[in-house]
Amino acid sequence: MARTVEFTLDGQRVAAPEGELLVHAAARHGVFIPTLCHDDKLDPYGGCRMCVVGVEGSPRPLPACATRVAEGLVVSTNSDVPAYRKTLTEMLLAEHLDPSPGGRPNELVDLAEEVGAETPFVLPDAKREPYEDRNRFMGYDPDACILCNRCVRYTQEVMQCSALSLEGRGPHARIVPTHGYSWLDTECELCGGCLSVCPTGAIYEKFEEGTTRPERALEKVKTTCTYCGVGCQIDLNVDPETKRIVKVTSDPTYLPNEGNLCVKGRFAFNFVHHPDRLTEPLVRGEDGELHPTTWEHALSTAAAGLNRVKAEHGAQAIGVLASARLTMEENFAIQKLARTAIGTNSVHSCEAT
Amino acid sequence: MGRGASTNSIPEIENARVLFVIGSNTTEAHPVLALRIKKAVRKGAKLIVADPRRIWLTKLASRHLQLRPGTDVWLLNAMMHTILEEGLQDEEFIRENTEDFDAVREVVARYTPEEAERVTGVAADDIRGAAREYASERHAAIFYTLGITEHACGVDNIWSLSNLVLMTGHLGYESTGLNALRGQNNVQGLNDAGANPMYLPGYQPLDDPEIRGRFSEAWGVEVPERPGYRLDQMISGMQDGRVRAFYLIGENPAHTEPNAAHVEHGLAGLDFLVCQDIFLNESARKYADVVLPASSFAEKEGTFTNTERRVNRVRRAVPLPGNAREDIDIVLQLARALGANWPDYRGAEDVWNEFADLAPNWSGIRYDRLEEVGLQWPCLDEDDPGTAYLHAPRPARPSGRGKFYPVEYQPPIEEPDSEYPFLLSTGRTLYHYNSATMTMRENGVTDKQEDPFVEISPEDASALGVVDGDWLRLTSRRGSIEARASVGDRVYPGLVWMALHFEEARVNLLTNDVTDSLIGIPEYKVCAIKVEPVAPALRPAAR
Ligand code: SF4
Ligand code: SF4
Ligand code: SF4
Ligand code: FES
Repeated sequence: MARTVEFTLDGQRVAAPEGELLVHAAARHGVFIPTLCHDDKLDPYGGCRMCVVGVEGSPRPLPACATRVAEGLVVSTNSDVPAYRKTLTEMLLAEHLDPSPGGRPNELVDLAEEVGAETPFVLPDAKREPYEDRNRFMGYDPDACILCNRCVRYTQEVMQCSALSLEGRGPHARIVPTHGYSWLDTECELCGGCLSVCPTGAIYEKFEEGTTRPERALEKVKTTCTYCGVGCQIDLNVDPETKRIVKVTSDPTYLPNEGNLCVKGRFAFNFVHHPDRLTEPLVRGEDGELHPTTWEHALSTAAAGLNRVKAEHGAQAIGVLASARLTMEENFAIQKLARTAIGTNSVHSCEAT
Repeated sequence: MGRGASTNSIPEIENARVLFVIGSNTTEAHPVLALRIKKAVRKGAKLIVADPRRIWLTKLASRHLQLRPGTDVWLLNAMMHTILEEGLQDEEFIRENTEDFDAVREVVARYTPEEAERVTGVAADDIRGAAREYASERHAAIFYTLGITEHACGVDNIWSLSNLVLMTGHLGYESTGLNALRGQNNVQGLNDAGANPMYLPGYQPLDDPEIRGRFSEAWGVEVPERPGYRLDQMISGMQDGRVRAFYLIGENPAHTEPNAAHVEHGLAGLDFLVCQDIFLNESARKYADVVLPASSFAEKEGTFTNTERRVNRVRRAVPLPGNAREDIDIVLQLARALGANWPDYRGAEDVWNEFADLAPNWSGIRYDRLEEVGLQWPCLDEDDPGTAYLHAPRPARPSGRGKFYPVEYQPPIEEPDSEYPFLLSTGRTLYHYNSATMTMRENGVTDKQEDPFVEISPEDASALGVVDGDWLRLTSRRGSIEARASVGDRVYPGLVWMALHFEEARVNLLTNDVTDSLIGIPEYKVCAIKVEPVAPALRPAAR
């Protein structure tokens, strides 16, 4: 355990574990410092300066997201800081023609509202060339990008790949797939991690483009990913009108994945609404083909067929295969059906591992 | 060691100091768990990877033990040989918490690293180095998955790993242990639930009359005493007439089982087949008498149990399509139609409660405790916070002692020869999911991987006169398929590798259905094949 130290926060003596990031220590003591480029998943960075605070003895203000608590530190968040924050926000806004295309949630726009910043003017070279990517999951809108580098740092620090880079300077600066023309040409595994840490929606989901509702009106249902044994916790974002899943998100507080997902958990959900889904029970007719029928008929045909085999050859002649895709409760019911309704212990699955 | 589950938890991984990953292509099979491994390495942990292929994790590894497929026992025994030779074992743990150590000491004495080098292809120095690094770090954790279990000698491999863990005392505290990474989302829950011919729910042995009695009483029906057939026995039973009917729920064995032609033949000969699934799979289309339209995970309530034994809630988000029904309702209705007299379940929660009442290790887990975050079994009562790591303070066997099982190497059942000179190994990729009925329907996912492909070394490719993207024909003693060459140094000369999940090139037509005699896991991983270029005119039309 880290040693507890005392420091001064806006005139109050407060305690915190030594080495804790100032932004966290302040939050625990009720002082909320806004951040933009900071993300708890990533190493301290201190790039955007939105979180700067005054520290006694330091000639310049210091970023709270990259400064660690030490004994005797004297910190002030209320002298020149609010004005500075407002100016900085206005400068960022001025670099964008439309900071929030598509009405996606945008931390910069939220922050502007909070600190009362307005777009004073738009720089003449603000409009950045649009960018098209041929992958079907993620798009990038340079005009919304504030170059905070969270996406690139996610690829480097969490995924540990080299898929994205920050390229160019000034109005030409943008995020690009490294050495490629598309995310698909890079090491990118389409995990959507860069997208999940982007504060402005500059990297966005293409699936969302066809929805009837703005993102904030989507209903979130927390559940468990259906693909692998990691059991990531996800939120299915459902359009309340069409009752379709629009996208999948996750939250940094969720265990065991801390908001991270892979390509399957994040993007492979369209099968739920696929036109090939079975929607009617089918029974094979005299003609040898499968025909749609009622549930009553399907269930009685199934039961009669199984009972006939049982009468002629005994219960052990019937095999039951459960599935690792099904829930625990379903599998429990299935083994109970085999053991009590059919009378055999022959219940197994393709996945013993 | 007494439990069929991962010993430790996912969040602990990042604090391990040595990670030994054997037979697990973690970044593709368990991508988000792999992020913790990456994080651990970033925090300074040593990563040792044992895998025949140069998988992604080898980029971060301090050692890559590139062993020949199927030689794991040799490698592990030689590591233990080194540990004992250099006195790196945990004598106190062995004395206090284990039994039969001498049997293993005797066997591994014969497995020298030099001889291991000849059999496995891994340099003796690397074996020694890996053994020292693993044994001398307290927070050392092992991860393995199908790579190690899908061999005819799969159970031997697990015993070997268990011996290694017991010998070093790497058990019963944080960031250590022996961690089986479960493949599909709910394999753990499936097994916990008792979908098994020898075990009743909660791993309670069927052959114990007292346990059978308890279930019979709870269910109001005598539970049959005779053990059921395992999957491999059901499949052979279809051939010889012991099995006449099947009820398949969410599975397509003609795709996922080795020696698929054999399975198909069996399904075709059944008297009666009921299939329950969300899509019409191949087996159902051809052979089912009745097809029941079921529910996806987004349309139902219930739980999945992940690889760290955490029971997580599954929740309904969207309505069912058309007249499809929830699987649980279908099973309950079919039971009734079969004449069973079951209680009225109001839904998944009632079924869970019946399970939890019958299975002591789960009895403290109830839905109201799963709202925020899942619970890890064992969880014995309502006040039990669940169990992050197993075998603390002592191994969880009735004797309180972990048992050593000496393991001798058995060569793979089918080895390359002059007619079938290549070794074929199989596995999964990131972008697909077993028989791919779910993920092949995702357009964006197939952008990354569309055609079936086979990994082959540059040396073998040039000997065959093919380049990357050319079509190859692969033939084993059991069947033949085509796939595009993916030329690269992920495999070494003589080894080719293919994924399990393409409809048009079912690699399982080639593989071997010899099974591990104890638990019936088929030998997916190794078989002998020949490889030929396909003449350009015969290639499947570009899609
Ligand atoms: S794309 Fe998003 S995360 Fe990346 S630099 Fe731009 S704003 Fe930041
Ligand atoms: S989607 Fe994932 S893998 Fe691809 S660039 Fe973004 S973070 Fe990297
Ligand atoms: S998101 Fe990926 S890693 Fe997580 S459970 Fe789903 S498939 Fe597994
Ligand atoms: S949030 Fe601290 S510098 Fe950007």
